[in-house]
Parts: sequence; C-alpha cells; structure tokens
Amino acid sequence: MIRIAAVGDVHLGPEAQGRLRPALEHLPEHADVLLLAGDLTRHGTPEEARVVATEFRDVGVPVLAVLGNHDHHGDAVPEVTEALSEGGIQVLEGDGVVLPVDGHRLGVAGVKGFGGGFEGRCASAFGEPEMKAFVGHTIEIAGKLQSALGSLSCDIRVALMHYSPVPDTLHGEPLEIYPFLGAYQLGEAVDATGTHLAVHGHAHAGCERGVTPGGVRVRNVAQPVIRSAFTVYCVEA
Amino acid sequence: MLNPGSGEAPEYIAARIRRALAEDPRTAELGIQVIVKGAHVYLCGTVSSQQCKEELNRVAQEREPTLTVHNDVDVVEAGEPGAPEVLR
Ligand SMILES: [Fe+2]
Ligand SMILES: [Fe+2]
Repeated sequence: MIRIAAVGDVHLGPEAQGRLRPALEHLPEHADVLLLAGDLTRHGTPEEARVVATEFRDVGVPVLAVLGNHDHHGDAVPEVTEALSEGGIQVLEGDGVVLPVDGHRLGVAGVKGFGGGFEGRCASAFGEPEMKAFVGHTIEIAGKLQSALGSLSCDIRVALMHYSPVPDTLHGEPLEIYPFLGAYQLGEAVDATGTHLAVHGHAHAGCERGVTPGGVRVRNVAQPVIRSAFTVYCVEA
Repeated sequence: MLNPGSGEAPEYIAARIRRALAEDPRTAELGIQVIVKGAHVYLCGTVSSQQCKEELNRVAQEREPTLTVHNDVDVVEAGEPGAPEVLR
C-alpha cells in the first residue's frame, strides 16, 4: 500500500503561519508522501511562499507541489518556486518524479492546469486572439501533463494539478463558472497514460470524489472540501 | 427590481462586491458567495484565517457603506484527517 497525503488551497500568508503545523507533526504515521495541489499562497508573493516553506519544512516525508492561480498572481513564479524549494518542497510544472516507497516506485507528474470547460460545453481556440491564447494555454499544459505522466517509469502513477480534469468534483460550484475551474483536456491526459489517481484543488465549493471518462479516480483536495490539514489515499501497488 | 437601499439592481451590487473581494489585495478571495437582499449583504464561503474573514467585512463595507454586511463565512478546519480512503 502506498499512502498518499494531499491538500490544496491552503492559501497561507503571514497571518496564518503555523495553522497546519500541529496536524503535520504526525504526518509520517499517516503517509509516505505529501502532495500540495496549488494555491499555496494568497497573492503569490515570495514572502507568502516563505511562510508555506516554513509550514511544510521537515514534515518527515517528501513534499511535492504544483502552483495554483493565486501563486501566479504576484507575477513572481521563479521567486515563489525558489522559496518553496528552500523549504524542501519540490515544485512540478510539466515534469515528474519517481519516489521509492516500500519496495515500489511511486511516480508523480504535475502541472498547474487551466480552464476551458468540459466535453460539449467548452471554449474553442477560435476568434479573438485572447480566446485563442486562453484555450492554447490549456492545450499546452495538458500536453505537458500527458508527456510527463507518460515518461514516468513507475508502479503507481499519480497526476497532480490545481485545476480540475473532470466536472464531477465541481458539484457544489455554480455551473456557470465550471469553464474557469478546469478543462477536459487534463482528463484526457490522465486517461491516455495509465494513471491510477488524479489529485486537484481550486474548487473550494466542489466535492471530493469523481472519476474520469476513462475510469481514473479523481480527488478534489481543496482544504475547504476535505475540512482537515490533509487527507490520505492508500493505493495498492 | 431596484434595491431599496441604493436604488440599484441588487445583482449589480452583489457583482461589484464580489469583484472587490477578489481584486482587493486585502482579501484576494475568489470563492465568496455574495447575496444582496434589500439593505443587507450576506457573505458565504470558506477562508484560511479569522483575519481573512474580518478583512471581507472591511472591503465589502467600504464598497457599499450604506448596506449592512452579514459575514457567514467559515474559517477552514486544519485538524488531522479521519481514516484514509483505500483505492482499489
Ligand atoms: Fe484556491
Ligand atoms: Fe485556485
């Protein structure tokens, strides 16, 4: 059994420093790895990223993360990534990592993801350049996710992203904003690569459980959804 | 229908408050539901700290000083999780 802890949307800043720390003290008893599904900060500043780094430093298991839209808000992605790395958090964006766990190889690939919507109700790369850029961003990221997942040589393959690959885990959000919450192309990448589990955040008012059209389990681990410091999924290798 | 509090449609007032809560750096909250009924504003959702919750009041109240703001927002729970989910 590989035990995967995950949480997204912790939205930390100096005012919330230490909020998760008491629950994290016992993390190695619960899990072999911790995945952070983006929106680690509120405004995407290096100062907030240092708060995140301190919060997850030395938790006793490897910590892998993707960034979310909030982490991009301050236009300081390199500095934010650097600050997180200094806390031992490995930030994934179109790449992956394979960790040895209990005699097995756990592969995790990550991207931020983006919006656009879902099958039959989604944006198309047509018309104004702004629209083409919007959809183009999604397509580019989904392509990176697919190649990162595909290149992992591992026993259990996990996709980590901020935006949702399916509409299932958005239930509870207003239907009208689904196109800003995820994109079906992310689910396609998951389904094309023999992935075992997809983890995302971003949909604070959504629900935890869903499944891709290809039958891969999807979990929305946004902290307001899981209502705890993290949640744990055990996957049989 | 116009809002008795301000003579404006409540939908526009709610939309303005919602955008202010997202775009004002003091709040930067995109997931707050804003409902305007007459002279009252109701805020729902979840934020990461008590301070974030209080900032919502400040920003909404500044945006619409004549309305009464009711803050029904939750502060997120950060305790240890229950039993793990086993995926087979
Ligand atoms: Fe978020
Ligand atoms: Fe987000």
